[in-house]
Amino acid sequence: MDYLKQNFKKNKLAYILILPAIVAMLMIHFIPMAEGLYISLLKLNQYTLLKFLHAPFIGLENFYTILFDPSSTLRIGFMDAVRNTIIYTIATNLSVLIIGLWLAHVLKQQFIGRGIARTLLLLPWVVPSYVVGLLWGFMWRQDSGIINKILVDYLHILPNKPFWLIGPNVIIAIIIPTIWRSFPMTMIMLLAALQTISDDYYEAAEIDGATGWQKLIYVTLPFLKPVIGTLILFGMIGSIYSYNIVAMMFGNGAGYPGDWGDLVMTNISRNSFNMWQFGTGAAASVMLMIGVLALTGIWYKVFKDSLTMQ
Amino acid sequence: MYKKILVVLLVLMLALGSLTGCGSSSTQTNGGSNNQSKSTSSEKVTLQVWIMPNSAQSASDFLNVVKPFTDANQNIKIKVTVLDWGSAWTKITTAATSGVGPDVLQLGTTWVPAIASMGALEDLTDKVSDLGGASAFLPAAWNSTGIKDSGKTSAVPWFVDTRGIFYRTDVFEKAGIDPKQAFATWDSFLDAAKKINNMDINGQKIAAIGLPGKNDWNVVHNFASWIWGAGGDYLSPDDQHAVFNSQAALKGIDFYTGLALQGLVPKAVLEKNSTDVENLFAKGQFAMIFSGPWLVKNFSTPADKGGLSDTIAAKNYAVANLPEGPAGRFSFFGGSDLAIFKASTHKTEAYNLIKYLVTKEAQVNYAKVSGMLPALKEALDDPYITSDPHMAVFKEIAQYGRSYPAVPAWGQIENILLTHLGNVWDDVSGVKGPFNENMIVDEMNKAAEEVDGVLQQSK
Repeated sequence: MDYLKQNFKKNKLAYILILPAIVAMLMIHFIPMAEGLYISLLKLNQYTLLKFLHAPFIGLENFYTILFDPSSTLRIGFMDAVRNTIIYTIATNLSVLIIGLWLAHVLKQQFIGRGIARTLLLLPWVVPSYVVGLLWGFMWRQDSGIINKILVDYLHILPNKPFWLIGPNVIIAIIIPTIWRSFPMTMIMLLAALQTISDDYYEAAEIDGATGWQKLIYVTLPFLKPVIGTLILFGMIGSIYSYNIVAMMFGNGAGYPGDWGDLVMTNISRNSFNMWQFGTGAAASVMLMIGVLALTGIWYKVFKDSLTMQ
Repeated sequence: MYKKILVVLLVLMLALGSLTGCGSSSTQTNGGSNNQSKSTSSEKVTLQVWIMPNSAQSASDFLNVVKPFTDANQNIKIKVTVLDWGSAWTKITTAATSGVGPDVLQLGTTWVPAIASMGALEDLTDKVSDLGGASAFLPAAWNSTGIKDSGKTSAVPWFVDTRGIFYRTDVFEKAGIDPKQAFATWDSFLDAAKKINNMDINGQKIAAIGLPGKNDWNVVHNFASWIWGAGGDYLSPDDQHAVFNSQAALKGIDFYTGLALQGLVPKAVLEKNSTDVENLFAKGQFAMIFSGPWLVKNFSTPADKGGLSDTIAAKNYAVANLPEGPAGRFSFFGGSDLAIFKASTHKTEAYNLIKYLVTKEAQVNYAKVSGMLPALKEALDDPYITSDPHMAVFKEIAQYGRSYPAVPAWGQIENILLTHLGNVWDDVSGVKGPFNENMIVDEMNKAAEEVDGVLQQSK
């Protein structure tokens, strides 16, 4: 007790200064989160909406409906969305890391026009994701889109112009713009990290007769591990909660992106706000949150050492 | 010492800021108790009005239309907030749950039963005769003003959104087709479309029809006329079951999707939306499209004001009613209603504003800026409509109007249909392998099962 008192006295200013932040966090973050948790246990739909937090309490029924009830309208669509989100998350993050690392490596070299190249490569990052969705929506068009023009008319890679915005190809149409939008940030972070690696290590490796690959695997990657770890965490959370690009590409959220384009967030948003199924919507969000928490736990196990190394 | 004072001041400022934030909203809700008090003419009243982007300058257009009203009632000030259709659902439900919202709000016709069922709208039943009675409005528009069979009126029809055929007169002339005959029945319509398809117009091949597929905000509405025309419907007469998977309804869905399957609609159009289709029609890519009165307005607006009057279609077009199906002729009726928010503190003034908005004068003026059709029958006799050959056709189309069943669960039903009709378009465009008729049957059966579940839940 005494120790606490002394500690408080010593750090009084610090406590006072963080107090507003804590109060604000409580009000705008934790209280709504607790409300969301509670709503996931309620039968909150169009008919009970006015009762809001006094809607009938049904325990875990919302969770059961989404996971096991075969007659539920949510279940089929939700599983599609989960599958798409898994594919989307793995594909975007892996590609972004590889492209980012490669570009960072290229940009590390001294060459004329490096500054311009850096600036140009950063450009996709400053485009808001809503705009990315809108722009790529035009580019993916079957008849007039630039992508089919390049693939079919100029390069003759494909014999016929495929549809990108309808059918199973939709998943490609949402993955590629996401990669395009997110590689610059990864590139810059990795470039910064690469520049901190002293050339001595590479020299030493060369003397030992290491090949390019061996230098990458035994010198570069271990040094980059903390940065890569952080990037994976941000990238993973970002793509799981991804919404904007899909919403914009398919009729401004008006249309149904299809069973190969629906992500968990677009699915939840449609079910909650268009179908007025707030209870099940909250339940789905809670399940998603638990999933992300679990993934973060695994991530921490994997990267724990490299995070405390420095 | 100074540091301490500074800190205390900062904390105080933040705390006060959050307090005033809460304070202003609570006074607004508290005000709800004295809502019925009649205001004297000298009392200043600000009416909050929520509308959707109905016209190019939604807020100022609205204020211009109600100017005679505000001139006559100097004490009333109108504050317009323009919501977008995408977020309006959320904003309106938030307003309904919190009790803090506008005085007057625009509602899509299909939303009225749902929001009325939440108890968020003022009951207008005893005002109906004051507004000229239900018969003063187009019947299909009036259907949406309250929950079906409840005998209650919760909203007043404002304007109507309906569809007709826009066709190229030059193309029909060159093909030697009489439009009257072509748009008589489904069969003659199909024959005409086949004859026109791939015709050479000004050195370019023209497609017979343009229509959007799944990436559109009208996916469900686009099917309505065809389902009804084939003798199908959405719900059973007692509104307990979905019937859009019946033989008749499937016939209508088959006919509409068949236009694409028979090659009368270029496949590439199926990934586009209504606006894209209208623009492509304007540029001369199709001989026919299905669209509403706003396109007439668009075709007479010059390009520097965002219109399409310079395009080839604008100079060579006419409007026709949809062809008559095996079970009759029906035009889809959507549009918007006006309602008074239950928590409003100025209900008398709000009602007076609505009453003004459904006068002939305001109905015609608003139709002019929005490009929609007035909901008041009398307004359809105005020269703005009768003297314009294109708008006159819409007056005729309005006689065949039909709207969705006014059940509270319709919002959910429409979303289920949106998903499954979207899948139907995927099947039709062939992106999931070769098409066969059973794919449509399967989708509609699944949709019917889901809708039955939703109807079960609403009991």
